[in-house]
Amino acid sequence: MDGPKVNYFEPEIETAPREHIRRIQLERLQRQVAWAYERVPWYKQRFQELGIGPEDIRRLEDVRLLPFTDKQVLRDTYPFGLCAIALDDVLRLHASSGTTGKPIVVGYSRRDLDAWSDCVARLAAMAGITRADRVQMAFGYGMFTGGFGLHYGCEKLGCMMVPAGSGNTERHLMMIADYETTVLISTPSYAMHMCEVGEARGFDWRASSLRVGLFGGEPCTPGMRREIENRMHIICTDNYGLTEVNGPGVAGECLVARDQQHIAEDHFLWEIIDPATGEALPEGSEGELVLTTLSKEAFPMLRYRTHDLTSVTTAPCGCGRTHARMAKVRARTDDMLIVRGTNVFPSQVEDILAGIAGVTPHYRIVLDNETGMDRMTVMVELRPDAFSDSFGEMDRFRRRVADRLRQTLLITPVVKLVEPGGIERSFGKSRRVEDKREKP
Amino acid sequence: METNIIMAIPQISVFLESQPGHLKRILDAFEAAGVNVRGYSVSDTGDYGIARFILDRPGEALEVLRAQGCASTLTQVLCVRLHDEPGELARVMSVIAAAGINVLYSYSLISTIIAIHVENIDSAESALRHQPIDLVSLDEIAARLRD
Repeated sequence: MDGPKVNYFEPEIETAPREHIRRIQLERLQRQVAWAYERVPWYKQRFQELGIGPEDIRRLEDVRLLPFTDKQVLRDTYPFGLCAIALDDVLRLHASSGTTGKPIVVGYSRRDLDAWSDCVARLAAMAGITRADRVQMAFGYGMFTGGFGLHYGCEKLGCMMVPAGSGNTERHLMMIADYETTVLISTPSYAMHMCEVGEARGFDWRASSLRVGLFGGEPCTPGMRREIENRMHIICTDNYGLTEVNGPGVAGECLVARDQQHIAEDHFLWEIIDPATGEALPEGSEGELVLTTLSKEAFPMLRYRTHDLTSVTTAPCGCGRTHARMAKVRARTDDMLIVRGTNVFPSQVEDILAGIAGVTPHYRIVLDNETGMDRMTVMVELRPDAFSDSFGEMDRFRRRVADRLRQTLLITPVVKLVEPGGIERSFGKSRRVEDKREKP
Repeated sequence: METNIIMAIPQISVFLESQPGHLKRILDAFEAAGVNVRGYSVSDTGDYGIARFILDRPGEALEVLRAQGCASTLTQVLCVRLHDEPGELARVMSVIAAAGINVLYSYSLISTIIAIHVENIDSAESALRHQPIDLVSLDEIAARLRD
């Protein structure tokens, strides 16, 4: 039987039987735990406090005996407290964009960098990218893991890399036209911006060589993905990763199970827990993703709490890969807003707006309680063709947008219309929420 | 009833946030394109407003605005020259009222020329034309400035 031709980077491990994957995971988990225990005083101390040792890991489920880690641990041990190897053997540092105070810094050994590139090459292959592709990088090449991580992974796959970097949209458009690049790596909101600038300049997206968008750096809702796919005439996939654990490459989206991502299970062990109690949840339930690195030399992370809400399935995938799939991260537990007692996720707002003709998916949320009660204001960007020379009609339009938001969010927001292009486009992590509420 | 509009004038409306500098951006664009503003009105709701312009070259102005990504549109208004005497504005409005047409908004241009946007522009125009009322075209506005 000939199925559709699937593009793999490491077919043997990507399609290995589940029991084989679990065997590799257990071997590597035992090694990783011993490695962390013996080389990182912070881990040793925590293990001793809990009265456990590496020898207690007999089955994969025993991972639950281990202590959790989180961003705070990396802050407390900043910069090199969790490093398990001599700093001479660390080849590179990356840091996550710290919104407050010190950033989170992690290091990589030569083997870490190799494994990282393998994981990225896999996710690129999942999107159908091959060595014949020309990849244009629109991430910045800074301390952020996205730029270098995806660069070296795609290069390992054999692609021609065009390291353009972030910003300068006109130059990006020129490069697509002149170098006939086929893959764009960017944040979804920058891709959207590039799409709009291109459209305004008469750039023919249908005829352009671009065929794939590899997105990251910020959440991409299914609605936004579809809109970019339709307007730029490309296929877009999302991938998942976080600096603390590795950077991009933890999971990637194949072309069969859209909006889900295959976790590189030979390098990362996943758990889904109840964020409130820390208890393990059964497969398929939505909860917080917890990741344990299985092959990290420099910065092993045991049971890292990602604060990302998702669910995971090990059911077989039509693409032939046997690695578990996580649902697109719906929200981060720490992104969740509580407005008048109701949970609101900014990603929901984006998804609703993407479904309304007449507005763009760009938005800002401002929360205040000046009147004594929580008020949520959503700034929404008008599309030029939705404008009418009548206050009555504009107001009806505004109320329609507010109504659509209310139907899903279950609270009534104040909608403010802003000019086309009036919402700042994000080039990295979005800063879309401003909470001005006075805390009691 | 006459249906062809002869005297209606194109008006450019622009969506504006109530923010410092936003109106100026539009005016700078007109200036750069050599477009002359012959009359305007700006009204707002507190959050956003609509700026409306009578321009010597409305088609070009709209192109300039669209190229900048502005939310803008072209609508029709009637421009009427008022004699400088008491009761003149009332006389014009009473013609429109008598025809059962709603005035959506109206503003005054240079000295005694006013722009009127109505629900049904061709009936309003015909009602006004059958009275001793001085409807003016863009050329006449320009000519009047040269007087």
